[in-house]
Amino acid sequence: MMGVLSYVVFFTTVASILAIATLGLNLHWGNTGLFNGGVVAFFGAGAYATLILGAAPQPGQMGGFALVWPLALMGGLGVAGLMAWAVGVLTLRLRHDYLAIATFGAAVAFENLVRNAQWLSGGAQGVRGFSRPLYAAVGDPLLWNTGFLVLTLSLLAAVYLFLRRLVRSPFGRLLRAIREDETAARSLGKRPSRVRLAAFVTGAVIMGLAGGLYGTFYAFVSPQDVLPVLTFQIWAMLIVGGAGNMRGAVLGAFLIWAAWTASGFLLSRFAPVEWQLYTGSIQFILIGSVIVGMLLWRPQGLIPERLVVSQSGRTPT
Amino acid sequence: MARMNRGMAAALALGLAGMGSAAAAQDCTTRIGAVFPTSVDWGQPIAATAQWVVDQVNEAGGAAGCRIQMVLRDDQLDPRVGVDAARALVDLEGVQLLLGTVASGISMPILTSVTVPAGVMQMSCCSSATSFTRLAEEGGTNGLWFRTFATTGVQAAVGVKVAQDQGWESVTILYKNDDWGQDIGRIIAGYFRAAGIEVKAQVAINDGQPSYRAEVVQALGSQPDALYLALYPLEGTAVVREWLSLGGTQNMIVANSLKSEEFRSNVGMQFLGSTFGTDTASPRADSADAFVDRYRARFGADPSGPGLANSYDAAMIALLAMEAAGPGARGADIAAAVARVTDPDGTPITADGEGFAAAREVFAAGGSVMYQGATGNVRFDANGDVSAPAVIWAFAEDGIAELEYLALEEVDAFIAALN
Amino acid sequence: MLQSFVDGLLVGSILSLGAIGLTMVMHMLRFANFSHAELLSIGAYAALVFDGLFAALAPVLTVKLAPLSVTAALALAFLVSMGVTAVSAVAIDRLVFRRIRARGEELSMVFASFGVALIVRSVIGLTFGLHPQLYSREIVFAIVVSRDPLLLIKPDQVAVLVAAVAIMGVLHLVLSRTTFGFALRAVAENPQLAQVNGVNLRRMIASVWLIGGALAAAAGVFYAINNQMSPVMGRDLVLPIFAATIVGGIGSIYGALLGGFVVGLASSFALMLLPSGYSPAVPFLIIIAVLVLRPHGLFGEARA
Repeated sequence: MMGVLSYVVFFTTVASILAIATLGLNLHWGNTGLFNGGVVAFFGAGAYATLILGAAPQPGQMGGFALVWPLALMGGLGVAGLMAWAVGVLTLRLRHDYLAIATFGAAVAFENLVRNAQWLSGGAQGVRGFSRPLYAAVGDPLLWNTGFLVLTLSLLAAVYLFLRRLVRSPFGRLLRAIREDETAARSLGKRPSRVRLAAFVTGAVIMGLAGGLYGTFYAFVSPQDVLPVLTFQIWAMLIVGGAGNMRGAVLGAFLIWAAWTASGFLLSRFAPVEWQLYTGSIQFILIGSVIVGMLLWRPQGLIPERLVVSQSGRTPT
Repeated sequence: MARMNRGMAAALALGLAGMGSAAAAQDCTTRIGAVFPTSVDWGQPIAATAQWVVDQVNEAGGAAGCRIQMVLRDDQLDPRVGVDAARALVDLEGVQLLLGTVASGISMPILTSVTVPAGVMQMSCCSSATSFTRLAEEGGTNGLWFRTFATTGVQAAVGVKVAQDQGWESVTILYKNDDWGQDIGRIIAGYFRAAGIEVKAQVAINDGQPSYRAEVVQALGSQPDALYLALYPLEGTAVVREWLSLGGTQNMIVANSLKSEEFRSNVGMQFLGSTFGTDTASPRADSADAFVDRYRARFGADPSGPGLANSYDAAMIALLAMEAAGPGARGADIAAAVARVTDPDGTPITADGEGFAAAREVFAAGGSVMYQGATGNVRFDANGDVSAPAVIWAFAEDGIAELEYLALEEVDAFIAALN
Repeated sequence: MLQSFVDGLLVGSILSLGAIGLTMVMHMLRFANFSHAELLSIGAYAALVFDGLFAALAPVLTVKLAPLSVTAALALAFLVSMGVTAVSAVAIDRLVFRRIRARGEELSMVFASFGVALIVRSVIGLTFGLHPQLYSREIVFAIVVSRDPLLLIKPDQVAVLVAAVAIMGVLHLVLSRTTFGFALRAVAENPQLAQVNGVNLRRMIASVWLIGGALAAAAGVFYAINNQMSPVMGRDLVLPIFAATIVGGIGSIYGALLGGFVVGLASSFALMLLPSGYSPAVPFLIIIAVLVLRPHGLFGEARA
């Protein structure tokens, strides 16, 4: 019983962290129409920056500022935002297939950087010396995990509410206007490139938050964590859940992560013995089929986008 | 090679079917966890080797009175997937022992997020990062972490000895750009320089690149006497074929990761005459040969590729410790019992089913054993690391030929002389 | 430097072949097909199967076409594999992409292509094993054209380059001299108007897949001759091929051709500027640089 509880806490924490990243991507794609192929770069920037800022000094590795955790996390958000600003300035005016590849390239460059720059990031060995905040004080790992889960869920809710406010705000209407008809928006004096950049940076900061939480939860990050497969996973979560709406994004995150982990679990439990060595490849076939199947069956996602009406049609009497 | 896969699958099936007819009555089942990258070419044999050990132990009557079931999960070389798999194994399957994994970037978060908090013992065959040593020194592993992967310094030192013995005065290093490769590249560069051998260039070989020609041309330009290769068979084959076809020297020193049938046959014996390999070893040539022979009998091919001998020893030592710890042992108990398996003053046992049965008798009488395995007389230090004697090998027509064996003391002395 | 140039041409020619097929599909069908590079894998492995088959059926075919490492059996298998891959491409379209095209939007197709890529890769891995394979174990030595400056050329390299250029030449002739070629170009520019003129859209789409598949098979076999094949070769080639397509501009066949060589040369010269650990990033730095200067690629056009 305790085991099941422990696993559920763990699973929900990871799924919530990925859901936060998916919400960030939803702001990019669902609200602003930006095809961000480099999600993992902003996620990774948040993770690495948080850990480098929050870790105790280590020989041969930069950082060790040992900042108190909330500050380290803020630092992570800041670095993610800064990176997004730099990438956005260069690439946001591109058409979206081009944007996808350009942002993907930025992610590959980021991964290369943290893999090779040992003085900065510890190289392929990853960032060491980070200890989870209050872990020693709490003592019991399950208790700490539960506490962290509560924190993560609160942050997920906070991001959700923030984005909902944003979408309903004048800025949100501006985003929609630019997405629907850029020329009209420009004729009204709006600056689409500025607006898109703002949305891009905001979404990236949210992804950085997810990354910072991720690094904190595992107390470790390495180049292995910032490979393109994460970008693919987050996109799958958004597509399957329903792009353009936030409930869909969160639902998609939980579903896809559950499918990813459950397929491994079920295969190890129930697949015939002769197949056990090949369950890895079989799992990829299953995941690929699920994605293709979802797209054939419900291409708009499980929860399709609902147009937000900012004013009801009734005239005041 | 398809034959090897079928051989492995048949072996798996045979093993588990054979369990039903084990001599001793085993009406209980203890589950152990295993996390390996089974969706990668070199990961499948590592997992198959661990399963083979489990099968042998079950044939010998199981560990601590129960049949052992190894629950295998793929980590897909993705830390999220690997940690979740470990979490499921510990929480849902209730394992007290986890074998895994290979990539240090995945073993580390598993260690800090799953096994240490849950008090589960973790034994890795192949994680090489020095950060584990430092973590253990800081007390972060609670004595639960072990790895049968000899510290990289040993291989590096022996690699330098090969160059010295052959009279090569300059070397170019080609290393795999991951934690293991970066480590060994850095360490051996230091040792080469300390030994007065010039390091002309150090070239990183990244995974998954379509062509390594540019890197090979760069290495070629440095015109070394010899190459040092810390690569896996996939990129190692591509790089070496490219190197040779462009007229590069045939003088090569390779790490044990290239002790691979695939590498040998795809490069060709005619070009491997001046290639020397390094590896950790068993003090008696018998034990190493015995492993190879038994492996060949089981899988229909030579043990080929990185980490197989290490995986074998990791699984066998862990199960021996489980036997020594007795029924109902928790992770910490099993970890504490490892010392009784690798006691240099204990009764020597062989690394197979008979050895396991013999060890059982010794444990029951309160004694300890000295395990002589595929990677040698394994002995863990306080940080769960192993030092090991070393061997210099070369490719031969019918497999691998051991050229020279260096005892642990010799290796240590050699390293001391380099520092 | 000269060596890097020649090597870059070789890698580039293979990328060009892959990129041409991709750019046609991307332009005609309006989606980024991440499974295109898996067609290279299918081509390489199909040639492996037929090479073995022909060699077993008619041992006379195992004679090497000196000075290459290519046997007559492999050359025949190459042609057969082009056909097989072309048909596979059409089949995948029928099974997956066409249905999604009817129901979903572009993003669904991109995702579906990811899913297809995963499936194809895993099926190849389960069928042939995960380890690398070669057509011929022999190592063919490069001819030392000059020692200083260093210039080494392998006969296989030259053959592949010549064959790739020849294939591209044939394609050029087809596009510029035949009615079929005109129809293809018309459909790419304006499908509706082309249909008004009696061009059968469905047949053109099928032709695009056939040509793309055949070119991809050629690229795959050439790659496997010069390197090795493994189930993940598609995954490793997809991004350089995309880079080539993007650099050239989506929809421009000549752009894709040039883009392939640009990316190949850039990757080759990269090591002169950056430490080798960073070489995977180079194609992307090139893309970003090109797109900053020309947002639609070198020859691409703004699309309505």
